[in-house]
Amino acid sequence: MSIEATIARYKEDFDLFDDPNDKLEYIFDLGKKHTTLPDEDKHEGTYVVGCASDAWLVGDCKDGNLILRGEGTSEMAKGMLTLLLDIFGKRTADEILQFDPAGLQDMGIMELLSPVRQQSLQAFLKMVYGYAQNCKEQGA
Amino acid sequence: MSIMKIENLEAKIGDKNILKGLNLELEAGKVHAIMGPNGAGKSTLSKTIVGHYDVEITGGDITYKGKSIKDMEPEERALEGIFLSFQHPVEIPGVNNAYFLRTALNAKLKYEGKEELNAAEFLRAMKKHLEMLGMKSDMISRSLNEGFSGGEKKRNEILQMLILEPEVIILDEIDSGLDIDALRQVSEGINKMKDGKRTFLVITHYSRILDYIEPDYIHVLKDGKVIKTAGPELVPYLEEHGYDGIKED
Repeated sequence: MSIEATIARYKEDFDLFDDPNDKLEYIFDLGKKHTTLPDEDKHEGTYVVGCASDAWLVGDCKDGNLILRGEGTSEMAKGMLTLLLDIFGKRTADEILQFDPAGLQDMGIMELLSPVRQQSLQAFLKMVYGYAQNCKEQGA
Repeated sequence: MSIMKIENLEAKIGDKNILKGLNLELEAGKVHAIMGPNGAGKSTLSKTIVGHYDVEITGGDITYKGKSIKDMEPEERALEGIFLSFQHPVEIPGVNNAYFLRTALNAKLKYEGKEELNAAEFLRAMKKHLEMLGMKSDMISRSLNEGFSGGEKKRNEILQMLILEPEVIILDEIDSGLDIDALRQVSEGINKMKDGKRTFLVITHYSRILDYIEPDYIHVLKDGKVIKTAGPELVPYLEEHGYDGIKED
């Protein structure tokens, strides 16, 4: 499923909820499937700088394919990481680099995020696109 | 094949003995209707099967799928697949209907070793049932049964049944307080669950609902005992002659 199709699927999910609080609760709900990282993967180089709570993101690149793994500590970070890793987690570097992150707005939840959470999202995206760029360069 | 067997069941509420050596066998996949006059013990029977705290069993046994359930906690009986639609569903202010239903469903899925549904998966499943039952979508975000009309409460009971997909379904006067449209929609919900595997125990005063949910067996309950078991042909006889005309088997 493409990045756009995955986003469209989440839009359908979020559209089921009339109350904005229920949309946010759904993000928490997604966090129940949140995975953790082994301790050796949690270090300065994988730390998401700018995220409101502690979070780490690991990007493993092989033959132009980027596998992302992450861990967050707050309920919101766990939920958002689960959602974003579903969208970006197993892609080619090109797929990510060709996708305009403004397309995430289509899910209809970005306006529900507080400025601090928006900043966390930007910090996450910065790392994702950084990993994707490195991965592309490795494959070149 | 029998799914539930009730043998010589004696039960009381407070100091009053209500069930007095009741025997009943429920055949799997069939619709059993329990009919009887007021005070015969119909609602007490349903409460006893699900383990309601009002009731004390003083004799006999209830076996479900071959094992006794009389010492099981109510929630364990529910997890095992026994469901009761209450005659008078309680209102629980502050407890969101959707949360309540999803928590109940996920507890059951977890008990069965299945994956729990997230909020979106659950809402998707619920919305199609709401439409069939003629329920407004805002009912799922309201407090459980709070301010619901009689018909809405009964529809909500059927919604729970459709979501939880129980194996033995006890409907205690599900038809009371329903107008014709609501009765039809509730019956449609019940008939949707009739798949030849689930077992129904329909408790009713009147034959009206049995026009919609065709029973396989009619059991007449009187003074705490089942005094007669017959096929659906008994219904018109009861309509004409009443319960006094029934002779004990």
